[in-house]
Amino acid sequence: MKMIKQISVFIENRPGRLLDVVEIIGGNGINLKALSLADSSDFGIARLIVKGTDEAVKILKHNGFTVSVTNILAALIDDKPGTLAGILKILAQNDINVEYMYGFASPIEGKAVMVFKLSDLDKAQELFDKNDITLLSQEEIREI
Amino acid sequence: MIYSDEMETMPREALEALQLKRLQNMVERVYNLVPFYKKQLNEQNVKPEDIKSLDDLKRLPFTSKQDLRDNYPFGMFTLPMEHIVRVHASSGTTGKPTVVGYSRRDIEVWSELMARSFAAAGVGRGDIIQNAYGYGLFTGGLGAHYGGEKLGATVIPISGGNTKKQIMIMNDFKSTVLTATPSYTLYLSEAIKDMNLDKTDLHLKVGILGAEPWSEEMRKAIEDKLDIDAIDIYGLSEIMGPGVAIECKEAKHGLHIWEDAFIPEIIDPETGDVLEDGEEGELVITTIAKDAMPLIRYRTRDITRIIKDPCVCGRTHRRIERIKGRSDDMLIIRGVNIFPSQIESLLMETEGVEPHYQIIVDRVDNLDTLEVRVEVSEKVFSDEIKQLQNLQRSIEKDVKDLYGINVKVSLAEPKSLERFEGKAKRVIDNRRL
Repeated sequence: MKMIKQISVFIENRPGRLLDVVEIIGGNGINLKALSLADSSDFGIARLIVKGTDEAVKILKHNGFTVSVTNILAALIDDKPGTLAGILKILAQNDINVEYMYGFASPIEGKAVMVFKLSDLDKAQELFDKNDITLLSQEEIREI
Repeated sequence: MIYSDEMETMPREALEALQLKRLQNMVERVYNLVPFYKKQLNEQNVKPEDIKSLDDLKRLPFTSKQDLRDNYPFGMFTLPMEHIVRVHASSGTTGKPTVVGYSRRDIEVWSELMARSFAAAGVGRGDIIQNAYGYGLFTGGLGAHYGGEKLGATVIPISGGNTKKQIMIMNDFKSTVLTATPSYTLYLSEAIKDMNLDKTDLHLKVGILGAEPWSEEMRKAIEDKLDIDAIDIYGLSEIMGPGVAIECKEAKHGLHIWEDAFIPEIIDPETGDVLEDGEEGELVITTIAKDAMPLIRYRTRDITRIIKDPCVCGRTHRRIERIKGRSDDMLIIRGVNIFPSQIESLLMETEGVEPHYQIIVDRVDNLDTLEVRVEVSEKVFSDEIKQLQNLQRSIEKDVKDLYGINVKVSLAEPKSLERFEGKAKRVIDNRRL
């Protein structure tokens, strides 16, 4: 299984709240690999991928945050026009809904990492494998 | 358990005869001893001897909180200070506090009524009462203290606050009974969890909770979080203090008001007319067993109704329904009346919402706005914005459907809303009227 654990944190929309989350993570020596923010008018959800998920969850809870852990897929894709479209097409053709996604550049030359939260992660994983799309494991994402 | 069979199960007829006798004595005493009452009765053209039946009670004038303030501090006392052994005062949020005096006999009667109340909640000798009501001018602490001792239980006079110590003592002393406000009890239950203790580690079996209006749903939450019976108790300093009325453990429905000491009436708060049993209105209490400071038809501002039906526990004293709110707390939002407790009930029925909330009223462009801030628990937290928005919308829709009011629900981080060690302040009214 190449699922990756992502931490979601509930934060109120007020100045400094996201900073608190990031400082708590960093202050405890946990390396932040990726962060994406989703927001509504009065609250937001910070989604984090870190090196040391269990530890980060424990620390955030201890600091009074509401936290949940979600499985996501992280694909290592070619950083060139049309790659993402190709992936989304495969998902659409197979009736898989993208709940949210975000990307970040990888240190590997010419590659980017796309994070997907999908309506059917198991089926998506099969499809990715069949179409030779590289999925990163928790260990692999820690190292990049 | 019934503390005093003779008094608590007295047939109605005998009880009412006792009430009349005590009422007549009381009216005569205050007429002669308190200038304020002499003036009031004269103005109403009533003489003590005109009170020939309980029905004549409604000929007597009301007493308001303002009357007590006007006679600050000791003007309502029937006795000289040589006979006053204690004074309490209610929090004066606006202006001077209201002062209450007690003779030695008053303290005895109060202790007895409070002991009865404890017994009705299933407390007895051998129980260890952790008394987390505040000690001081507030009647809660000492009222529960004396009642517990009178009953023969062990009382820990820990007072309110100091939560960590509170929990340490609860655990080490194996407290079986907690007396506190419902909001503080809820706060304690969280703190217990935070200290890595489980409800099963504790010996608590009953919570005797009062001093602020709370809801049936809040009871369920407290009972569930602490694995106790949460019993509603009622009292107010002007009338005596805690122990005016309490739920019995058997029915947990409606609070028996000790009718050998108090005569309850329900009135229309606008017109002052007495309403029938069962109708909702403002509770008015006449004290008939008080020595130092008896009050005639004191307007409590608390909204409830009288339950006339006999109770399964065998007590003949009538019950008042759980206080719905104070007429002062009633919010009028664009002409619609709503009590914070109604919002509370609704929130507590919503899966995953923590029982901590705050109601913020404001006026924007001459229109009242109502915002309800609720804390999001882990149970309900989703990493998808739309699911949290659905939660907001479903609460907004429920309020709209039930009360016809538009409300904005905002989600708050857990433990971000203020916690209260005494009475909870749930409403922030920013309207400048």
